[in-house]
Amino acid sequence: MKDAGGSLCGGVAVLRDITEHRRAVAALARQAEELLHSQQALETQTLMLQSVLDSIGEGLVAADETGKFILWNPAAMRIVGMGAANVPPEQWTDHYGTYLPDTVTPFPPEQNPLLRAIHGETCTTEMYVRNAEMDTGVWIESTGSPLKSRDGAARGGVVAFRDITQRRADEREIRKLNEELEERVTQRTAQLAAANHELEAFTYSVSHDLRAPLRHIGGFSRILMEDFASSMAPEAQHHLQRIEDGARRMGLLVDELLNLARVGRYALNFQVTNLNLVVEEVVSLLQPETEGRVVSWKVAELPSTKCDPILIKQVFQNLLANAIKFTRPRELAVIEISQRQKNGQTVIAVRDNGVGFNMEYVDKLFGVFQRLHRAEEFEGTGIGLATVQRIVHKHGGQVWAEAELDKGATFYFTLGAESADVKSSEGKSKAATAGAEI
Amino acid sequence: MNPNEVDILLVDDSQDDIDLTLHALRAENLANSIFVARDGEEALDFLFCSGAHAQRSFDSPPKLVLLDLKLPKVDGMQVLKRVKGDARTKIIPVVLMTSSKEEQDLVIGYNLGANSYIQKPVDFDEFRKAVKLLGLYWLVVNQPPLATGKLKAAKQGQ
Repeated sequence: MKDAGGSLCGGVAVLRDITEHRRAVAALARQAEELLHSQQALETQTLMLQSVLDSIGEGLVAADETGKFILWNPAAMRIVGMGAANVPPEQWTDHYGTYLPDTVTPFPPEQNPLLRAIHGETCTTEMYVRNAEMDTGVWIESTGSPLKSRDGAARGGVVAFRDITQRRADEREIRKLNEELEERVTQRTAQLAAANHELEAFTYSVSHDLRAPLRHIGGFSRILMEDFASSMAPEAQHHLQRIEDGARRMGLLVDELLNLARVGRYALNFQVTNLNLVVEEVVSLLQPETEGRVVSWKVAELPSTKCDPILIKQVFQNLLANAIKFTRPRELAVIEISQRQKNGQTVIAVRDNGVGFNMEYVDKLFGVFQRLHRAEEFEGTGIGLATVQRIVHKHGGQVWAEAELDKGATFYFTLGAESADVKSSEGKSKAATAGAEI
Repeated sequence: MNPNEVDILLVDDSQDDIDLTLHALRAENLANSIFVARDGEEALDFLFCSGAHAQRSFDSPPKLVLLDLKLPKVDGMQVLKRVKGDARTKIIPVVLMTSSKEEQDLVIGYNLGANSYIQKPVDFDEFRKAVKLLGLYWLVVNQPPLATGKLKAAKQGQ
């Protein structure tokens, strides 16, 4: 500074603060760097997205709100054989060759899933695509969804689609196989029904036509014997008696065969059944057969079980009648009916001290017409045990036997899973006769 | 035999069965007035007083019809259906006598209005017993219904 005379007398310094400026520059630099970073990140992301779009198997096509394609990935190109074309939505059907699943009706443009997506709809449809760029047509399933900006404004649509030609072929194959199977089942059922019908007709005619002549043979033999006995030699009478016996035996045979056939077609009627009551009934029914003999019955406590009472009665009737028959040579016949548990199942046993049989022939025991004794020793038709087996099998159970020649036989049977025992206190009082002789 | 005084109409196509049935009925003195029809058509003519039996009257129905099921021309079930489906004949007792023990025959027979169902036993003693019981029951024990004609007469008499 100078004074009035012009001589220096001091100085003036001017100070300017540039801190703000420096800060602003730094911020700018930082922003520029961030921008660069985010641009790089965006590029990376875009690249990643691009490779994702390139690698997925589904075709992806997006269009803006005017219908201009903005994305068309390689899979889309591969599936429909063409890329993005600059054609308006109403010409997509023609241009890309899209049809309804009937493969001939052009796909209605307004129903195109991409167009519907642009209009804000989400939908899934099947269509058939065939055009000059493709070797063969393909079926595709496409799902369209709208594209929206953050504020919710419509920005176009995207459609994802895949080739379902193979799936459709598989489905068609499965359907065809199913139909064939169905047809085979129908045919087989018809054959079975026919066979069943034939069997029924056969049973009927056996029942009707075979019994009649037997009745005539037996009837007229009897009339001869009664009305002409005086003019006949005793030997002639004896022969007539044998004719009549034969007719009666064959009548029995026919009736038992019919019974066996009936068991086959009979529909089971499951009821909770007290087996002790069944045994009691059968024992009293068989009483006439034990006349003049000493038979000791030992009946244990048996369960109440779900089974068909009529058929189970038949099982006991056949088994107990056999026991009575084959103990005939014994002074004291002992017939025991007992039960035990095996693998959670009730096994019923019918044991006798009769003549038994050789276990070598056990396989023949349950066959129709199979007999292990001569007719002169023990009468029988050879159908009883076959009937027992059929009834037990019908209940889902098993039947088997153990025996020793001259020591007696034991027959065992179970009644299968459906015939679960029913625990009831009611059966107990009845079963108090356990081990008692009746 | 007066065609209007028949106790039993026996319908059977088998001469053997007819002979055995008659033999059994004779033993019980029940065979005095029996008419035998050999097929369903003849049975219907007899029961409906038509054809060869046009001279017969609805007022004198048989007291009992023994009907076999398996018959030529018109089978037993059809005969039964006609008889039980007609007001003039439905009161006549009809006993089905057949060889068959088929449940379906039993069910159909009873549904059509059969009064009884007998399976002809193979054993002649049993057969005879069945025929005897049948004859005695329907001809002797049972009080037969009044025939339609007699019924009318009874009503008019009141």
